[in-house]
Amino acid sequence: MPSFGDSVKGMSKGLGVTLKTMLKPAVTVHYPHEKEEVTPRARGVIALKEENCTVCMLCARSCPDWCIYIEGHKEKRPARREGGRERTVSVLDRFDIDYALCMYCGICVEVCPFDALHWSPEYEYSEFSIASLLHDKEKLGEWEATVPEAEPLELGAEVKKAKK
Amino acid sequence: MTSFEVDPKLYSPLADSQLNVELDTGDMILNIGPQHPATHGTLRLVVRLDGERVIKADPVIGYMHRGYEKLTEYRTYPQITTLVNRIDWLSSFANEVPFIGAAEKLMNIEATPRALYIRTILTEMARISTFLLFLGEMGLQVGAITPAFFGFRDREYTLNLIESATGGRFHPNYNRIGGLKEDLPWGWVAECRNTMKKMLDSCDEFEDLVMGNPIFQARTRGIGIIPAELGASYGVSGSNLRASGVDWDLRRDGEPLLPYNEIEWKTFTHQDGDSFARYWVRLQETRESARMILQLLEQLPAGPIMAKVPRIIKVPEGEIYVNAENPLGEMGYYIISKGATGPFRVKIRTASFSNVSILPWLLQGIYVPDVITVLASLYFILGDIDR
Repeated sequence: MPSFGDSVKGMSKGLGVTLKTMLKPAVTVHYPHEKEEVTPRARGVIALKEENCTVCMLCARSCPDWCIYIEGHKEKRPARREGGRERTVSVLDRFDIDYALCMYCGICVEVCPFDALHWSPEYEYSEFSIASLLHDKEKLGEWEATVPEAEPLELGAEVKKAKK
Repeated sequence: MTSFEVDPKLYSPLADSQLNVELDTGDMILNIGPQHPATHGTLRLVVRLDGERVIKADPVIGYMHRGYEKLTEYRTYPQITTLVNRIDWLSSFANEVPFIGAAEKLMNIEATPRALYIRTILTEMARISTFLLFLGEMGLQVGAITPAFFGFRDREYTLNLIESATGGRFHPNYNRIGGLKEDLPWGWVAECRNTMKKMLDSCDEFEDLVMGNPIFQARTRGIGIIPAELGASYGVSGSNLRASGVDWDLRRDGEPLLPYNEIEWKTFTHQDGDSFARYWVRLQETRESARMILQLLEQLPAGPIMAKVPRIIKVPEGEIYVNAENPLGEMGYYIISKGATGPFRVKIRTASFSNVSILPWLLQGIYVPDVITVLASLYFILGDIDR
């Protein structure tokens, strides 16, 4: 046990800290009424831009939890020019992300070669039943509106020149 | 216990004879069960008590086993980086670093200098965030509620910084083989400097609030002393060993993974080896990490964030063991690769597993409230023990 004098000094220093903190404004954010600003990079929800998707299945294959369900079929489109060959195009039938399984790792967004998946910082989409956490194509398309613009990088970062 | 059902009609002469049964009335077996607020997760401690003194203690682990090493057999390297974040979930960035370092060594790829510096900054930030939680919750385990609030409040600043760079507060998933996923956002370095100054102030607050408190000192001084040789032979590592006087820090003494030799820093040791020493060492290390980050920010080199790596990453055949100084202690990954996109076998050596193995020896002869103090001061995370 420390001596009496040291005890008094120790306790009064501690009480001084709490007194100072009491006189400062509280840092609590009263959540449902006030919301904090989320950084644009925050991994909230994944949005799908359907016109870019070519059903290459890279995202579904690289998901560690296998939470992306994709179905598509091939269709024939008329030739673009006269005398040309008919084109085959993959059409997306079903693109579901099961947010009950999703780990929010971002590998699907990173791996997509056609820039069809984007991160959005929206986080308020909790449901009362687990089945409604399976977001289908339309819902994922709605999240596209919340995707923020690409922000500038820090000083010293390499600036990639666009390929001509 | 079994009950002897004696039929009085058959055995009436025996009914009033004295049965010579040895009744174990002295000791009580207390199950500090897997669900307990003081055991940091699902650790079960079966202690045999004589009154309030512990005679024998057995930790039972495995309640949080998630099968990491089996999971890694069927996943590729970026997927495993995601999973590995969750082993020690409080300092999740620090778990990715030795794994990626091992894969890079097998591939003979060096991450770019900028990526190495940012990796070091984020590892030290992970160290600060987990130690701030420790400083708060050790006060909580000893009986004071205020430090817990201070710890969580100060931690938020660091977590917000990590989120603005990586996208995730707790699970950054930011390391890639060859560097990092993307570069820092605009204004991060200035924000980081302000936050580190706030961290230094909060360490001073903890010193006044908790360490100088005579009640805290009475509860922690002399409790749970780990002798240096015994600790080293059990495999205790990290701040626990440094609090017993052994000056061993893998950031300086181990294989060079990150550029720690380019900045000035020092390790802290304490001679006592008790719970107070472990608290003291971690507080000083938090301060030192904040100072290290300020130095690293000054020297941050410019350049690309990712080295040239092939599009589909196949790690060549070989095996390697890489260990690093996780905030909890020494963490190592032993990777056996057979040339595929994922490893053949990964063995994870975690710090908390060895730190907890000393508990049967350490808990002998101390009182039950001191058991809680010792558990808090050893600072293990169940995800780290069980994987």
